[in-house]
Amino acid sequence: MPTLAAGLSVGEYVRSVMFRLAALIAVLLSAIWALDGQGYFWPAWAWLGLGVPLMLDRTASWAWRHPPGAVRRVACVWALVSVAAVILILTWLLTWLLAGVQTFWPAWALLGLGTAGSAYSLFALHDRVLVAHGRRALRARVEALTRARHQAVDAQAAELRRIERDLHDGAQARLVALTMQLGRAELRVEREPDLRRLIHDAQREAHRAIAELRDLARGIVPPLLADRGLLAAVESLAARYGLGTSIRSDTQRRLAPAIERAAYFVIAEALTNTAKHASATNSWVQLSDQPPGLVVVVGDDGRGGADPEGSGLAGLRARVEALDGSLRVLSPAGQGTVLEVGIPCA
Amino acid sequence: MRVVIAEDLALLREGLVALLRENEIDVVAQVEDGPGLLRAIAGHRPDLAIVDVRLPPTFSDEGLRAAIEARRRQPKLGVLVLSQYVETAYANELIGENTAGIGYLLKERIGDVRAFLDALQRVAAGGTVLDRQVVTQLLAARDGARNALSSLTGREREVLELMAEGRSNTAIAESMFVTPGAVEKHITNIFAKLDLAACDDDHRRVLAVLVYLRVAR
Repeated sequence: MPTLAAGLSVGEYVRSVMFRLAALIAVLLSAIWALDGQGYFWPAWAWLGLGVPLMLDRTASWAWRHPPGAVRRVACVWALVSVAAVILILTWLLTWLLAGVQTFWPAWALLGLGTAGSAYSLFALHDRVLVAHGRRALRARVEALTRARHQAVDAQAAELRRIERDLHDGAQARLVALTMQLGRAELRVEREPDLRRLIHDAQREAHRAIAELRDLARGIVPPLLADRGLLAAVESLAARYGLGTSIRSDTQRRLAPAIERAAYFVIAEALTNTAKHASATNSWVQLSDQPPGLVVVVGDDGRGGADPEGSGLAGLRARVEALDGSLRVLSPAGQGTVLEVGIPCA
Repeated sequence: MRVVIAEDLALLREGLVALLRENEIDVVAQVEDGPGLLRAIAGHRPDLAIVDVRLPPTFSDEGLRAAIEARRRQPKLGVLVLSQYVETAYANELIGENTAGIGYLLKERIGDVRAFLDALQRVAAGGTVLDRQVVTQLLAARDGARNALSSLTGREREVLELMAEGRSNTAIAESMFVTPGAVEKHITNIFAKLDLAACDDDHRRVLAVLVYLRVAR
């Protein structure tokens, strides 16, 4: 069979020989009929007989064009059904034309063939139809979940920004106002050292609370990240570590807050690890914002051997994967550590 | 001294105004945003503007931008920027090419009223006042400085930070509960360790430290 559709040269050759042979036989028989004194045109039956393999060949090669499996089987069945139907109809046509038969006797046979073909199709393809339906439902579900997750991540970023602003305008501002009042009070009791010391101690406590709140706020939304974006925040971060980290970026574009945040904290964690464990002489950060998204590479030439399954890296991975991103760590012992993060951006 | 205040939080604005008025500083205008600040300095021609970094409508660094613009329009104007956090990037932008009459402090420094009033006077008089955290961050950022920094003792480091705030030897001595003589000795050591030319003038001293910190960045 494959030779029919694949069009192998051998198959093609055999086919063309057979067609010529059939045509020759048809012409010969017609000639015999003509020489034999004509009358009842019996060669028509021979034509029909010779046409059947030709039809089979055509429909079979059509059926074979379908993908293997249930669909091809159904196509083969319909190919056979249609060949049988054509044979029936042509036979009836000949009996009508040549013998004058009036009733359309193939009706029931055609109905049977059609029913059988349909029944087989239904039987062979029903699971396929159901699977297609299931797949569509699954795709819709995945799309809905992806959308919901994006919304959740964006909502979380907005919520964090709100918390940071509330802290800034609320508790932090109140504590600053408190230190102002304590300062004013301190000036009024200059001649009472005990009271002054008490106020001074209260000041110190307020300062500690302010410092703690500041660290907390920085952990929620680093101010430079919110104000100036990823590159400025990373430059400041790297400067704070004092590793002499070289930073390269091909972009100044502001990204979604959730993406900037994730990238920032990944870089912060990576630089912390470099500063703590790597004993590196060089470190670098590369930011690239080209379709399909942001790529962050943080590397050092330190001692390597970081555990990709360690809790710190697992936390980063979770952060990145929440944004459909991916994280790779390359840290062969003695050959430095490279962390690569990709986050798709719209 | 005539002062304009740009601060969007009423609680802090009113506290600051009360504190300044008690100490006979003339608050000529109080505004809540950047454009308001620019209008106020054009109208009142104050000696000093006290500006919060984070102002409406963006609540990011609106105040810093307005402060820089105000300085561009009135180069003689002293500008003291207050913030709840310190970013060296902002300090660098604020200082730009012209360090005269610039201050950048954490808001809680207001609590030390005498030092704060002192800082206001210095900025209005064209001095430079930087929060000690700026110094700490700049030092951490500089490769060469890290080695030099590690050679400083804890006391010397403290003196360096107070120096960046533009304080006089006497003020530093008071704040550290030591004699002015001890402070002078610390300063001599610091300048030697950082390889800076010694100078007595408070303002020039801040500049020397600043130049040192900003070089080779």
